[in-house]
Amino acid sequence: MNDNVHALIGAYAVDAVTPDERADFEAHLSACEDCSAELVGLREAAATLGEAEAVTPPASLRASVLDEIGRTAQLPPLTEDDAPAARDAGGPVPLAQERHARRERHLWPRLAVAAAVASVLAVGGLVGSTLMADREDQLALEKDVMMVTSAPDAKSMDLGLGTAHLVVSEKMSSVVAMGDDCPHPKDGMAYQLWLVMDDGSKEAGPTFMPDSDGTFMTMVHMDMDGVTAIAVTEEPMGGSAEPTSTEVAVVGL
Amino acid sequence: MSANGSERRLRAVPADRDGAHPDRHRDARGDADVLADLLVRTGRGDQAAFERVYDALAGTVHGLALRIVRDPQLAEDVAQEALVEVWRAAARYRPEHGSARAWVLTITHRRAVDRVRSEQSHADRLMNHGPRHAVAAAEQLEHPEEVVEAMDAQWRAARVRKGLETLTPLQREALELTYYKGYTNKQLAESLGIPLGTAKARIRDAMIRLRDTWEAAR
Repeated sequence: MNDNVHALIGAYAVDAVTPDERADFEAHLSACEDCSAELVGLREAAATLGEAEAVTPPASLRASVLDEIGRTAQLPPLTEDDAPAARDAGGPVPLAQERHARRERHLWPRLAVAAAVASVLAVGGLVGSTLMADREDQLALEKDVMMVTSAPDAKSMDLGLGTAHLVVSEKMSSVVAMGDDCPHPKDGMAYQLWLVMDDGSKEAGPTFMPDSDGTFMTMVHMDMDGVTAIAVTEEPMGGSAEPTSTEVAVVGL
Repeated sequence: MSANGSERRLRAVPADRDGAHPDRHRDARGDADVLADLLVRTGRGDQAAFERVYDALAGTVHGLALRIVRDPQLAEDVAQEALVEVWRAAARYRPEHGSARAWVLTITHRRAVDRVRSEQSHADRLMNHGPRHAVAAAEQLEHPEEVVEAMDAQWRAARVRKGLETLTPLQREALELTYYKGYTNKQLAESLGIPLGTAKARIRDAMIRLRDTWEAAR
Protein backbone atom coordinates (compact mmCIF):
# COMPACT_ATOMS: atom_id res chain seq x y z
CA MET A 1 0.00 0.00 0.00
CA ASN A 2 2.71 2.42 1.03
CA ASP A 3 4.87 1.53 -1.94
CA ASN A 4 1.88 2.05 -4.11
CA VAL A 5 1.28 5.51 -2.77
CA HIS A 6 4.98 6.35 -3.00
CA ALA A 7 4.95 5.52 -6.70
CA LEU A 8 2.38 8.24 -7.25
CA ILE A 9 4.83 11.06 -6.64
CA GLY A 10 5.31 11.93 -10.31
CA ALA A 11 1.61 11.82 -11.01
CA TYR A 12 0.95 13.90 -7.91
CA ALA A 13 3.47 16.53 -9.01
CA VAL A 14 1.61 17.02 -12.29
CA ASP A 15 -1.88 16.66 -10.77
CA ALA A 16 -2.47 13.40 -12.64
CA VAL A 17 -4.32 12.00 -9.65
CA THR A 18 -7.91 11.60 -8.60
CA PRO A 19 -9.06 13.43 -5.47
CA ASP A 20 -8.83 10.16 -3.50
CA GLU A 21 -5.31 9.50 -4.71
CA ARG A 22 -4.37 13.05 -3.85
CA ALA A 23 -5.66 12.64 -0.31
CA ASP A 24 -3.84 9.32 0.07
CA PHE A 25 -0.62 10.76 -1.24
CA GLU A 26 -0.78 13.81 0.97
CA ALA A 27 -1.32 11.58 3.98
CA HIS A 28 1.72 9.58 2.89
CA LEU A 29 3.72 12.73 2.30
CA SER A 30 3.42 13.86 5.88
CA ALA A 31 5.09 10.62 7.00
CA CYS A 32 7.68 10.25 4.25
CA GLU A 33 10.62 12.62 4.27
CA ASP A 34 12.02 11.16 1.06
CA CYS A 35 8.85 12.00 -0.80
CA SER A 36 8.66 15.49 0.66
CA ALA A 37 12.21 16.19 -0.43
CA GLU A 38 11.72 14.69 -3.89
CA LEU A 39 8.49 16.57 -4.39
CA VAL A 40 10.20 19.95 -4.04
CA GLY A 41 12.33 19.25 -7.12
CA LEU A 42 9.49 17.77 -9.13
CA ARG A 43 7.29 20.76 -8.32
CA GLU A 44 9.97 23.11 -9.59
CA ALA A 45 10.25 21.07 -12.77
CA ALA A 46 6.47 21.14 -13.24
CA ALA A 47 6.51 24.91 -12.77
CA THR A 48 9.24 25.27 -15.35
CA LEU A 49 7.08 23.31 -17.78
CA GLY A 50 4.25 25.70 -17.04
CA GLU A 51 6.18 28.89 -17.46
CA ALA A 52 6.96 28.21 -21.09
CA GLU A 53 3.34 29.01 -21.74
CA ALA A 54 3.37 32.61 -20.56
CA VAL A 55 1.17 34.92 -22.59
CA THR A 56 0.12 38.44 -21.89
CA PRO A 57 -3.08 38.31 -19.91
CA PRO A 58 -5.98 40.58 -20.80
CA ALA A 59 -5.63 43.94 -19.06
CA SER A 60 -9.05 43.43 -17.51
CA LEU A 61 -7.71 40.49 -15.50
CA ARG A 62 -5.52 42.69 -13.33
CA ALA A 63 -8.38 44.94 -12.35
CA SER A 64 -10.71 42.00 -11.65
CA VAL A 65 -8.15 40.20 -9.51
CA LEU A 66 -7.22 43.28 -7.52
CA ASP A 67 -10.88 44.06 -7.02
CA GLU A 68 -11.61 40.54 -5.83
CA ILE A 69 -8.71 40.32 -3.40
CA GLY A 70 -9.97 43.51 -1.82
CA ARG A 71 -13.04 41.49 -0.89
CA THR A 72 -11.26 38.23 -0.03
CA ALA A 73 -10.17 37.36 3.49
CA GLN A 74 -6.80 35.68 3.83
CA LEU A 75 -6.19 32.34 5.48
CA PRO A 76 -4.02 32.34 8.59
CA PRO A 77 -0.63 30.63 8.34
CA LEU A 78 -0.38 26.94 9.13
CA THR A 79 1.54 26.01 12.24
CA GLU A 80 3.24 22.85 13.41
CA ASP A 81 -0.07 21.71 14.84
CA ASP A 82 -1.80 21.75 11.49
CA ALA A 83 -2.00 18.84 9.13
CA PRO A 84 1.55 18.27 7.96
CA ALA A 85 0.41 17.30 4.50
CA ALA A 86 -1.00 20.73 3.90
CA ARG A 87 2.33 22.26 4.91
CA ASP A 88 4.52 19.90 2.97
CA ALA A 89 2.45 19.69 -0.14
CA GLY A 90 3.86 23.03 -1.15
CA GLY A 91 0.47 24.36 -2.02
CA PRO A 92 -2.77 24.90 -0.25
CA VAL A 93 -5.44 22.36 -0.80
CA PRO A 94 -8.23 24.20 -2.57
CA LEU A 95 -11.56 23.90 -0.87
CA ALA A 96 -13.01 22.02 -3.80
CA GLN A 97 -10.32 19.41 -3.40
CA GLU A 98 -10.99 18.97 0.28
CA ARG A 99 -14.61 18.41 -0.53
CA HIS A 100 -13.77 15.94 -3.26
CA ALA A 101 -11.38 14.05 -1.08
CA ARG A 102 -13.97 13.43 1.55
CA ARG A 103 -16.61 12.38 -0.89
CA GLU A 104 -17.18 8.69 -1.03
CA ARG A 105 -16.90 7.08 -4.36
CA HIS A 106 -19.66 4.89 -5.67
CA LEU A 107 -19.85 3.13 -8.92
CA TRP A 108 -22.88 3.85 -10.94
CA PRO A 109 -24.57 0.48 -10.97
CA ARG A 110 -26.74 0.60 -14.05
CA LEU A 111 -25.09 2.50 -16.77
CA ALA A 112 -21.48 2.13 -17.61
CA VAL A 113 -20.80 5.66 -18.61
CA ALA A 114 -18.48 5.58 -21.51
CA ALA A 115 -17.70 9.17 -22.09
CA ALA A 116 -17.71 12.50 -20.41
CA VAL A 117 -20.03 15.18 -21.63
CA ALA A 118 -17.32 16.93 -23.39
CA SER A 119 -15.99 18.59 -26.41
CA VAL A 120 -12.89 17.02 -27.78
CA LEU A 121 -11.12 20.34 -27.42
CA ALA A 122 -11.75 20.26 -23.76
CA VAL A 123 -11.31 16.77 -22.80
CA GLY A 124 -8.85 15.42 -25.28
CA GLY A 125 -10.33 12.00 -25.02
CA LEU A 126 -11.37 11.14 -21.54
CA VAL A 127 -12.50 7.75 -22.64
CA GLY A 128 -13.42 4.63 -20.75
CA SER A 129 -15.97 3.69 -18.18
CA THR A 130 -13.83 4.04 -15.07
CA LEU A 131 -12.96 7.58 -16.03
CA MET A 132 -16.35 8.70 -14.85
CA ALA A 133 -15.83 7.13 -11.50
CA ASP A 134 -16.69 10.32 -9.77
CA ARG A 135 -20.21 9.90 -8.57
CA GLU A 136 -21.22 13.51 -8.83
CA ASP A 137 -20.22 13.59 -12.45
CA GLN A 138 -22.15 10.43 -13.12
CA LEU A 139 -25.23 11.67 -11.41
CA ALA A 140 -24.96 14.95 -13.26
CA LEU A 141 -24.77 13.13 -16.58
CA GLU A 142 -27.60 10.81 -15.63
CA LYS A 143 -29.73 13.77 -14.66
CA ASP A 144 -28.90 15.67 -17.83
CA VAL A 145 -29.68 12.64 -19.94
CA MET A 146 -33.01 12.18 -18.19
CA MET A 147 -33.86 15.81 -18.76
CA VAL A 148 -33.16 15.43 -22.45
CA THR A 149 -34.90 12.11 -22.97
CA SER A 150 -37.97 13.36 -21.11
CA ALA A 151 -38.10 16.76 -22.84
CA PRO A 152 -41.45 17.39 -24.58
CA ASP A 153 -39.73 17.78 -27.94
CA ALA A 154 -37.35 14.82 -27.53
CA LYS A 155 -36.97 12.85 -30.74
CA SER A 156 -35.45 9.39 -30.74
CA MET A 157 -33.62 7.97 -33.76
CA ASP A 158 -31.62 4.86 -34.62
CA LEU A 159 -27.90 5.58 -34.67
CA GLY A 160 -26.93 2.47 -36.62
CA LEU A 161 -24.28 1.25 -34.19
CA GLY A 162 -25.82 -1.93 -32.79
CA THR A 163 -29.06 -0.89 -31.17
CA ALA A 164 -27.68 2.48 -30.17
CA HIS A 165 -29.96 5.43 -30.57
CA LEU A 166 -29.91 9.20 -30.44
CA VAL A 167 -32.24 11.44 -28.53
CA VAL A 168 -32.34 15.04 -29.69
CA SER A 169 -34.04 17.91 -27.92
CA GLU A 170 -33.84 21.38 -29.39
CA LYS A 171 -35.50 22.75 -26.32
CA MET A 172 -32.75 21.32 -24.13
CA SER A 173 -30.06 22.17 -26.72
CA SER A 174 -28.83 18.63 -26.38
CA VAL A 175 -28.10 15.37 -28.14
CA VAL A 176 -27.80 12.14 -26.22
CA ALA A 177 -26.34 8.98 -27.74
CA MET A 178 -26.64 5.67 -25.94
CA GLY A 179 -26.76 1.99 -26.58
CA ASP A 180 -25.95 -1.38 -25.10
CA ASP A 181 -24.55 -3.63 -27.80
CA CYS A 182 -22.39 -1.21 -29.66
CA PRO A 183 -19.50 -2.79 -31.60
CA HIS A 184 -16.01 -1.73 -30.49
CA PRO A 185 -13.94 0.62 -32.61
CA LYS A 186 -10.58 -0.54 -33.93
CA ASP A 187 -7.71 -0.86 -31.46
CA GLY A 188 -6.42 2.48 -30.34
CA MET A 189 -9.45 4.27 -31.71
CA ALA A 190 -12.50 5.76 -30.06
CA TYR A 191 -15.79 6.88 -31.47
CA GLN A 192 -16.40 10.58 -31.77
CA LEU A 193 -19.67 12.40 -32.29
CA TRP A 194 -19.90 15.25 -34.78
CA LEU A 195 -22.60 17.84 -35.24
CA VAL A 196 -22.96 18.50 -38.94
CA MET A 197 -23.96 22.13 -39.52
CA ASP A 198 -26.07 23.46 -42.39
CA ASP A 199 -22.97 24.98 -44.00
CA GLY A 200 -21.36 21.54 -44.09
CA SER A 201 -18.92 22.23 -41.24
CA LYS A 202 -18.65 19.78 -38.38
CA GLU A 203 -18.51 20.70 -34.71
CA ALA A 204 -16.41 18.25 -32.70
CA GLY A 205 -18.38 16.39 -30.06
CA PRO A 206 -17.20 14.07 -27.33
CA THR A 207 -15.41 10.80 -27.89
CA PHE A 208 -16.94 7.68 -26.43
CA MET A 209 -15.99 4.07 -25.97
CA PRO A 210 -18.43 1.23 -25.39
CA ASP A 211 -17.57 -0.90 -22.38
CA SER A 212 -17.08 -4.66 -22.64
CA ASP A 213 -20.85 -5.20 -22.99
CA GLY A 214 -21.06 -2.57 -25.70
CA THR A 215 -22.81 -0.16 -23.34
CA PHE A 216 -22.16 3.54 -23.68
CA MET A 217 -23.79 6.85 -23.07
CA THR A 218 -22.66 10.31 -24.05
CA MET A 219 -24.17 13.70 -24.46
CA VAL A 220 -23.52 16.99 -26.23
CA HIS A 221 -24.94 20.23 -24.96
CA MET A 222 -25.12 22.70 -27.81
CA ASP A 223 -27.54 25.03 -29.49
CA MET A 224 -29.14 22.81 -32.13
CA ASP A 225 -29.87 25.70 -34.45
CA GLY A 226 -28.31 24.93 -37.81
CA VAL A 227 -27.40 21.36 -36.91
CA THR A 228 -28.57 19.16 -39.80
CA ALA A 229 -27.15 15.77 -38.88
CA ILE A 230 -25.24 13.84 -36.25
CA ALA A 231 -22.32 11.75 -37.44
CA VAL A 232 -19.97 9.28 -35.75
CA THR A 233 -16.42 8.54 -36.86
CA GLU A 234 -13.59 6.48 -35.45
CA GLU A 235 -10.80 8.77 -34.29
CA PRO A 236 -7.51 8.25 -32.48
CA MET A 237 -7.86 8.16 -28.70
CA GLY A 238 -8.44 11.67 -27.53
CA GLY A 239 -10.49 12.60 -30.51
CA SER A 240 -9.79 14.99 -33.34
CA ALA A 241 -10.66 18.59 -34.10
CA GLU A 242 -11.81 17.55 -37.59
CA PRO A 243 -13.03 14.13 -38.71
CA THR A 244 -10.12 12.04 -39.99
CA SER A 245 -12.10 9.03 -41.22
CA THR A 246 -15.37 8.33 -42.98
CA GLU A 247 -18.48 8.22 -40.88
CA VAL A 248 -19.52 4.92 -39.34
CA ALA A 249 -22.95 6.40 -38.73
CA VAL A 250 -24.85 9.46 -39.94
CA VAL A 251 -28.32 10.46 -38.79
CA GLY A 252 -30.12 13.36 -40.44
CA LEU A 253 -32.24 15.52 -38.15
CA MET B 1 9.97 48.97 -25.66
CA SER B 2 13.17 47.04 -25.13
CA ALA B 3 14.86 49.97 -23.36
CA ASN B 4 11.95 50.18 -21.00
CA GLY B 5 12.03 46.44 -20.59
CA SER B 6 15.71 46.22 -19.68
CA GLU B 7 15.35 49.03 -17.21
CA ARG B 8 12.60 47.15 -15.41
CA ARG B 9 14.63 43.98 -15.51
CA LEU B 10 17.71 45.62 -14.01
CA ARG B 11 15.71 46.97 -11.17
CA ALA B 12 14.42 43.52 -10.39
CA VAL B 13 17.92 42.06 -10.05
CA PRO B 14 19.58 42.37 -6.65
CA ALA B 15 22.87 44.24 -6.53
CA ASP B 16 24.99 41.51 -4.91
CA ARG B 17 25.82 39.57 -8.01
CA ASP B 18 29.48 39.16 -6.97
CA GLY B 19 30.76 40.56 -10.23
CA ALA B 20 29.82 37.52 -12.28
CA HIS B 21 28.82 38.15 -15.86
CA PRO B 22 25.10 38.76 -16.01
CA ASP B 23 23.60 35.51 -17.12
CA ARG B 24 19.92 34.99 -17.14
CA HIS B 25 19.84 32.07 -14.74
CA ARG B 26 21.49 34.14 -12.11
CA ASP B 27 18.96 36.87 -12.78
CA ALA B 28 16.22 34.32 -12.39
CA ARG B 29 17.62 33.29 -9.01
CA GLY B 30 17.66 36.88 -7.83
CA ASP B 31 14.11 37.29 -9.08
CA ALA B 32 13.14 34.11 -7.25
CA ASP B 33 14.33 35.50 -3.91
CA VAL B 34 12.55 38.78 -4.53
CA LEU B 35 9.39 36.90 -5.45
CA ALA B 36 9.52 34.65 -2.40
CA ASP B 37 9.83 37.72 -0.22
CA LEU B 38 6.92 39.41 -1.99
CA LEU B 39 4.75 36.35 -1.53
CA VAL B 40 5.57 36.18 2.17
CA ARG B 41 4.62 39.84 2.48
CA THR B 42 1.43 39.15 0.56
CA GLY B 43 0.61 36.56 3.20
CA ARG B 44 0.71 39.32 5.80
CA GLY B 45 -1.87 41.29 3.88
CA ASP B 46 0.44 43.55 1.85
CA GLN B 47 -1.58 44.36 -1.26
CA ALA B 48 1.25 46.24 -2.94
CA ALA B 49 3.40 43.12 -2.62
CA PHE B 50 0.60 41.09 -4.15
CA GLU B 51 0.44 43.47 -7.11
CA ARG B 52 4.11 42.86 -7.77
CA VAL B 53 3.58 39.10 -7.53
CA TYR B 54 0.75 39.55 -9.98
CA ASP B 55 2.90 41.52 -12.40
CA ALA B 56 5.66 38.93 -12.24
CA LEU B 57 3.50 35.84 -12.64
CA ALA B 58 0.10 36.68 -14.14
CA GLY B 59 1.34 36.08 -17.67
CA THR B 60 2.57 32.63 -16.75
CA VAL B 61 -0.56 31.85 -14.75
CA HIS B 62 -2.81 32.94 -17.58
CA GLY B 63 -0.73 31.19 -20.23
CA LEU B 64 -0.71 27.91 -18.36
CA ALA B 65 -4.45 28.12 -17.76
CA LEU B 66 -5.00 28.85 -21.45
CA ARG B 67 -2.81 25.97 -22.57
CA ILE B 68 -4.79 23.58 -20.42
CA VAL B 69 -8.39 24.76 -20.69
CA ARG B 70 -8.00 26.17 -24.23
CA ASP B 71 -10.98 28.50 -24.08
CA PRO B 72 -9.81 32.11 -23.56
CA GLN B 73 -12.77 33.07 -21.40
CA LEU B 74 -12.42 29.99 -19.22
CA ALA B 75 -8.69 30.54 -19.03
CA GLU B 76 -9.26 34.03 -17.72
CA ASP B 77 -11.65 32.66 -15.10
CA VAL B 78 -9.16 30.02 -14.03
CA ALA B 79 -6.34 32.56 -13.90
CA GLN B 80 -8.44 34.85 -11.76
CA GLU B 81 -9.42 32.05 -9.39
CA ALA B 82 -5.82 30.94 -9.09
CA LEU B 83 -4.50 34.44 -8.45
CA VAL B 84 -7.15 35.18 -5.85
CA GLU B 85 -6.27 31.84 -4.23
CA VAL B 86 -2.65 32.99 -4.15
CA TRP B 87 -3.77 36.04 -2.19
CA ARG B 88 -6.03 34.01 0.07
CA ALA B 89 -3.51 31.32 0.94
CA ALA B 90 -0.24 33.27 0.71
CA ALA B 91 0.39 33.00 4.45
CA ARG B 92 0.75 29.26 3.93
CA TYR B 93 3.59 29.63 1.48
CA ARG B 94 6.89 28.48 2.98
CA PRO B 95 10.02 29.54 1.11
CA GLU B 96 11.94 26.55 2.46
CA HIS B 97 9.54 24.23 0.64
CA GLY B 98 10.10 25.63 -2.82
CA SER B 99 10.01 28.72 -4.97
CA ALA B 100 7.14 31.18 -5.02
CA ARG B 101 6.78 30.55 -8.72
CA ALA B 102 6.34 26.80 -8.21
CA TRP B 103 3.82 27.43 -5.44
CA VAL B 104 1.74 29.76 -7.59
CA LEU B 105 1.90 27.51 -10.64
CA THR B 106 0.96 24.48 -8.56
CA ILE B 107 -2.23 26.27 -7.56
CA THR B 108 -2.82 27.34 -11.14
CA HIS B 109 -2.22 23.94 -12.65
CA ARG B 110 -4.51 22.24 -10.18
CA ARG B 111 -7.28 24.75 -10.82
CA ALA B 112 -6.95 24.39 -14.58
CA VAL B 113 -6.94 20.61 -14.46
CA ASP B 114 -9.94 20.58 -12.15
CA ARG B 115 -11.70 22.79 -14.61
CA VAL B 116 -10.93 20.57 -17.56
CA ARG B 117 -12.18 17.59 -15.62
CA SER B 118 -15.41 19.17 -14.59
CA GLU B 119 -18.27 18.16 -16.77
CA GLN B 120 -19.91 21.53 -16.67
CA SER B 121 -16.99 23.31 -18.22
CA HIS B 122 -17.13 20.95 -21.15
CA ALA B 123 -20.75 21.74 -21.72
CA ASP B 124 -20.08 25.45 -21.40
CA ARG B 125 -17.33 25.27 -23.93
CA LEU B 126 -19.49 23.60 -26.50
CA MET B 127 -22.25 26.11 -25.95
CA ASN B 128 -19.80 28.92 -26.34
CA HIS B 129 -18.40 28.26 -29.78
CA GLY B 130 -18.72 31.79 -31.07
CA PRO B 131 -15.84 33.99 -32.14
CA ARG B 132 -13.03 34.22 -29.64
CA HIS B 133 -11.95 37.40 -28.01
CA ALA B 134 -8.48 38.38 -29.12
CA VAL B 135 -6.34 40.59 -26.93
CA ALA B 136 -5.57 43.85 -28.70
CA ALA B 137 -1.92 44.73 -29.07
CA ALA B 138 -2.50 48.08 -27.40
CA GLU B 139 -3.93 46.34 -24.39
CA GLN B 140 -0.87 44.15 -24.14
CA LEU B 141 1.42 47.10 -23.69
CA GLU B 142 -0.54 48.76 -20.99
CA HIS B 143 1.70 47.39 -18.25
CA PRO B 144 5.43 47.54 -18.88
CA GLU B 145 5.88 44.64 -16.48
CA GLU B 146 4.18 42.49 -19.03
CA VAL B 147 6.77 43.39 -21.61
CA VAL B 148 9.45 42.09 -19.27
CA GLU B 149 7.37 39.01 -18.80
CA ALA B 150 7.17 38.52 -22.55
CA MET B 151 10.95 38.85 -22.89
CA ASP B 152 11.53 36.37 -20.12
CA ALA B 153 9.05 34.04 -21.73
CA GLN B 154 11.23 33.66 -24.79
CA TRP B 155 14.23 32.25 -23.00
CA ARG B 156 12.06 30.29 -20.65
CA ALA B 157 10.32 28.65 -23.59
CA ALA B 158 13.68 27.82 -25.12
CA ARG B 159 14.81 26.28 -21.86
CA VAL B 160 11.67 24.19 -21.63
CA ARG B 161 12.05 23.02 -25.21
CA LYS B 162 15.59 21.90 -24.44
CA GLY B 163 14.40 20.00 -21.41
CA LEU B 164 11.64 18.30 -23.31
CA GLU B 165 14.13 17.22 -25.96
CA THR B 166 15.94 15.15 -23.35
CA LEU B 167 12.83 13.04 -22.78
CA THR B 168 11.95 9.93 -24.71
CA PRO B 169 8.93 10.24 -27.02
CA LEU B 170 6.93 8.08 -24.61
CA GLN B 171 7.83 10.32 -21.69
CA ARG B 172 6.89 13.43 -23.64
CA GLU B 173 3.59 11.86 -24.58
CA ALA B 174 2.92 11.00 -20.93
CA LEU B 175 3.46 14.62 -19.86
CA GLU B 176 1.47 15.95 -22.78
CA LEU B 177 -1.53 13.91 -21.71
CA THR B 178 -1.21 14.45 -17.96
CA TYR B 179 0.33 17.85 -17.39
CA TYR B 180 -1.24 19.61 -20.34
CA LYS B 181 -4.46 17.68 -20.83
CA GLY B 182 -5.34 16.77 -17.29
CA TYR B 183 -5.38 12.97 -17.58
CA THR B 184 -5.06 11.09 -14.33
CA ASN B 185 -2.51 8.29 -14.15
CA LYS B 186 -5.29 5.76 -14.65
CA GLN B 187 -6.59 7.56 -17.70
CA LEU B 188 -3.07 7.65 -19.07
CA ALA B 189 -2.68 3.90 -18.51
CA GLU B 190 -5.99 3.11 -20.16
CA SER B 191 -5.63 5.37 -23.14
CA LEU B 192 -2.15 4.06 -23.88
CA GLY B 193 -3.05 0.48 -23.00
CA ILE B 194 -0.19 0.17 -20.49
CA PRO B 195 -0.21 -1.16 -16.92
CA LEU B 196 -0.95 1.39 -14.24
CA GLY B 197 2.45 0.91 -12.61
CA THR B 198 4.12 1.66 -15.93
CA ALA B 199 2.10 4.83 -16.33
CA LYS B 200 3.02 6.08 -12.86
CA ALA B 201 6.68 5.24 -13.39
CA ARG B 202 6.72 6.92 -16.78
CA ILE B 203 5.39 10.20 -15.38
CA ARG B 204 7.83 10.10 -12.51
CA ASP B 205 10.81 9.25 -14.72
CA ALA B 206 9.92 12.07 -17.08
CA MET B 207 9.66 14.59 -14.25
CA ILE B 208 12.91 13.43 -12.67
CA ARG B 209 14.70 13.79 -15.96
CA LEU B 210 13.32 17.29 -16.48
CA ARG B 211 14.28 18.25 -12.95
CA ASP B 212 17.83 16.97 -13.42
CA THR B 213 18.22 18.67 -16.78
CA TRP B 214 17.03 22.00 -15.51
CA GLU B 215 18.92 21.84 -12.24
CA ALA B 216 22.12 21.05 -14.13
CA ALA B 217 21.55 24.05 -16.38
CA ARG B 218 21.49 26.50 -13.48
